[in-house]
Amino acid sequence: MSKASTMQKPSMEPRFAGITFFATSHVGDVCGTNGLPLTPNSITIYGRSQILRTFSHPNLCAYLDIIRGKHERTMIVLEYYALSLSSAQCSISEQGIVKLCQQTLQALAYINTFGVVHRCLAPDNILFDSKGNVKLFNYGLYYMTGQGGDVSFPIGNPRYTAPEVFLVDSQTVSGPKVDVWSLGIILAELALGVGQLWPELKLAQLMRKVLSLIHCNSDTSVLSRIAREHSCWTKYESLPKSLVALINSCLQLKPSDRPTPEELLKHPAFLEHDIANLEIHPFERVEGVRGKEHALSSLPLQELFYLWRLAGGDVQAELKKQGLIRTMPTILSVPRLVLLEGNILGKRRDQTSLLDLKIIPLSLDTLALRLSNVPVSAYYPLIETRSEIIQDDDECDAANLPLIIRERDTEYQFRRIVLFRRLLEGYPYTRSAIIREARRDIPPLYRGAVWAALLEVEGDIDAHFIETDKETPTHTDRQIEVDIPRCHQYDELLSSREGHRKFKRVLKAWVETNPQYVYWQGLDSLCAPFIYLNFNNEAKAFACLSAFIPKYLHRFFLKDNSAVIREYLAKFTHIIAFHDPDLSNHLQEIGFIPDLFAIPWFLTMFSHVFPLPKILHLWDQLLLGDASFPLYVGLAILQQHRDALLSSGFNECILLFSDLPEVDIERCLSDSVSLYCCTPRSTTYRQHERVVVKTPSQKNRPHHPDLEMSAQTVAELQAESCPRISGADLLDLLDAVKFPRPKVLVIDVRGPELYNIGSAPGSINIPHTRFDWTAEIPQLPSCPEANTLLQNRGKILVVAGQGDSPQAAQVAQVLLRSGLPRVCILHRGIDVLQLGNLLTKPSST
Amino acid sequence: MANRGGPAQRPNPQTQGKICQFKLVLLGESAVGKSSLVLRFVKGQFHEYQESTIGAAFLTQTVCLEDTTVKFEIWDTAGQERYHSLAPMYYRGAQAAIIVYDITNMDSFGRAKVWVKELQRQASPNIVIALAGNKADLANSRAVECEEAQTYADENGLLFMETSAKTAKNVNEIFLAIAKKLPKNEQASGAGSTNQGRRLQELDGSPKAAGNCCK
Ligand SMILES: Nc1nc2c(ncn2[C@@H]2O[C@H](COP(=O)(O)OP(=O)(O)OP(=O)(O)O)[C@@H](O)[C@H]2O)c(=O)[nH]1
Ligand SMILES: [Mg+2]
Repeated sequence: MSKASTMQKPSMEPRFAGITFFATSHVGDVCGTNGLPLTPNSITIYGRSQILRTFSHPNLCAYLDIIRGKHERTMIVLEYYALSLSSAQCSISEQGIVKLCQQTLQALAYINTFGVVHRCLAPDNILFDSKGNVKLFNYGLYYMTGQGGDVSFPIGNPRYTAPEVFLVDSQTVSGPKVDVWSLGIILAELALGVGQLWPELKLAQLMRKVLSLIHCNSDTSVLSRIAREHSCWTKYESLPKSLVALINSCLQLKPSDRPTPEELLKHPAFLEHDIANLEIHPFERVEGVRGKEHALSSLPLQELFYLWRLAGGDVQAELKKQGLIRTMPTILSVPRLVLLEGNILGKRRDQTSLLDLKIIPLSLDTLALRLSNVPVSAYYPLIETRSEIIQDDDECDAANLPLIIRERDTEYQFRRIVLFRRLLEGYPYTRSAIIREARRDIPPLYRGAVWAALLEVEGDIDAHFIETDKETPTHTDRQIEVDIPRCHQYDELLSSREGHRKFKRVLKAWVETNPQYVYWQGLDSLCAPFIYLNFNNEAKAFACLSAFIPKYLHRFFLKDNSAVIREYLAKFTHIIAFHDPDLSNHLQEIGFIPDLFAIPWFLTMFSHVFPLPKILHLWDQLLLGDASFPLYVGLAILQQHRDALLSSGFNECILLFSDLPEVDIERCLSDSVSLYCCTPRSTTYRQHERVVVKTPSQKNRPHHPDLEMSAQTVAELQAESCPRISGADLLDLLDAVKFPRPKVLVIDVRGPELYNIGSAPGSINIPHTRFDWTAEIPQLPSCPEANTLLQNRGKILVVAGQGDSPQAAQVAQVLLRSGLPRVCILHRGIDVLQLGNLLTKPSST
Repeated sequence: MANRGGPAQRPNPQTQGKICQFKLVLLGESAVGKSSLVLRFVKGQFHEYQESTIGAAFLTQTVCLEDTTVKFEIWDTAGQERYHSLAPMYYRGAQAAIIVYDITNMDSFGRAKVWVKELQRQASPNIVIALAGNKADLANSRAVECEEAQTYADENGLLFMETSAKTAKNVNEIFLAIAKKLPKNEQASGAGSTNQGRRLQELDGSPKAAGNCCK
């Protein structure tokens, strides 16, 4: 850090700015017809404005964030340039005016394609970037406020407002042509060189003035009248015809005579003037003022803003500092009288809530300082030629800290963001690198895109989504409609009206494209993380959901899914028994069966039982695992509450898990990974799991079908307390080259005659007949083999009988009851080892 | 708003005579307010955005009658028709049931009647059934007349009340009415709470005859 101070003080022009306003608040405690409280207007605005963040056009300032504050306050962060048309103190050439007009129209035409109208176009909303190009600012205000319906202030500067806006009631929605009028007035000011029109008029007079222009007719154009009123007739007469014609088209009184931005772009003036390489104005270049461009400038704005916030940037605090947010003690605004219906009387008007659309630039200096130690090379990490020799593990101090801290560390996130951006640009070719890096962690800024990559979402997802019918009413609609307003509604995005609409469309699209499945309650929860992460891209949310379900929840949404769920729960029971016999025995004893608590866990992959931030971290890992991984997550959750479970009876246990208790997700995940890694894959075999077609390289170990797992009925699964292991997995574990120290012990329960003919290497023989099966709880017999068994506690204990006889399962259960972990049953019995030519004559000891 | 009306009374150790334990199940169409009723009864709370129920949820609450303390073991089930196949697991062996409908939704009343029939056929013969017309606070969007429901309840020997989980109206009352109506005979089979799970598993076991009391 100390080095930094000797270096040139990092300093950067602000690149974004904040503005703020209040939404109208609902009076009292009002409910909609469905009995639910009305959505606060600020939430509606929040949801609606998200789409603005996707707008990308060279002549628009990008929307970076929308933030809700207290009391219906909304704060907006936009790309920002210090120079605006109103602050520029120099005249612009006639050609420059035409170019400005063209760029503004291009920006307007672009937002019009999304149904967005600026409505408050004025010189202070036209900014210029360092190359002098137009950057339209604040163009989303009218749209995000529901055409002004959600705020109590009028939108638009009367001086530039089209006359028809004053003539219709406030319910009438303005179309794209109102902006063309505003542009006309701006052009008139520039062309006539008069600065502001009617500078001496007050607000009310201004409106009257604009309305008085209605008296213009075909003989006197609006422009000529303005010229006369401002005594600049000579200037007017000297203007090029094409420019006058352009302005006249803009200032057509009747909207029907006025072109839209799209239409006006075809105006001959744009052809006549050679403006392609022209600069609008001769302002001094902003560039170079502060020396060389800062390396941070090379980052996309979204990344810059994200890092700014990590480095402590706080929009609300900045606005407060600048006096834009003032607070008044609540006691001063207590009303004198509140009627039962909620009407409020005698409340002092809170001056702090008045509108002030001042733009507050947000300084980047703290961030620049924070990242001043980062070498320029870090901005361009090598991803293709990354050699193993260059160890970059210690590139950042935070790399080994807990996830929560890494996610808040500016420099660490900077490195992750830059790396993942480059990897994602190379997707699908970089898929394996993405998986490798995601194992470490996923930077929240790019989580949506990384998940899509992990789920192998590719192809023309937009077209697929557009083609899908999301509108036609179906039987499922009622259920979807009652579920959505109950799904993760603490979240601002998901509780917004726009969020509800997206939920409905994505869910309906899923039901529509999966005729073999039906909507089960819980699908809404599954959908939530994808909508949350892809709020501006329903098609991607849909594609992710569509890829997620077959991978982890194959057949779970069949109309009759009971066999699928029961099989899953039976495997869960087996996995508990395999890893935690004491817990398993206790839960069995008290009858705390997974059917009573784990259905919502697995049916929704925990998305119904955890809040979003936890789901995101959980799924970050889940997506890297296979379809069996969630079983280990379930076990790890139980184990976090192991002590409580072990000391409780049925009622306490079920109460504990009725409202899922606090779970440390990071620990849960690392536990799940360790559990997963020490469990043979075949023990979690399910017949309802999706069969993944193996790639040719994985196929190099073709097995005899008897060495592989095969389906068992739910009743069979439930009758056995321990999972089965496949012959193939056992052969693998017996491989002495791979595991010089054996990881497995085979317990052969056949009679000694058979055992002595041939058995698994290193196995012990405890014949089934040696047990006292008449005892209420059969015990392990006392014999040398039983001691060997107990000494090998911790190894995978494979109980093998002859064929599929129930004897092995019975013995396995006894081992489980005596508290031995990792007990499993050899599927199809010892005979399958014959197929691996592995049966040896036991050495007599 | 969310905390109007406190939870039902806790037992007072001084006055309690015997303690009876009953299993109660809530059934009814999705989103009629089953979970909200339970939440109001058990915790005295109301959440506008109550999460939907998947599978079932379990809660307990105790109410005091003059000489008895009644402990309810409440199974709140999922309302979606598809989860129907799970329902028997929860109502089997239940001594009481609350069948809930939403007074602003006629279909939910129809669904409630289907539940009544099913319980009359499949559940324990002495089961005490209460019908709850929930969301009484939304009376101005009423679709099911109170008289109609009352008549139906009378015909079928059900307890009936219009309730509101939101305003707490009749919530404690309906549970209390059930507690009063439940038989509290000492000699009833004494399956303790630890056997609860096993009882749930007995898929073909005959329904328990009466309330089980322990002293
Ligand atoms: N106005 C009003 N709303 C209620 C009342 N009870 C429940 N609600 C609302 O109705 C919706 C559904 O309530 P839940 O309790 O989730 O319904 P449920 O019957 O448990 O639904 P499932 O779990 O899907 O079976 C929620 O948004 C509740 O806030 C009530 O008495 N009055
Ligand atoms: Mg519920």
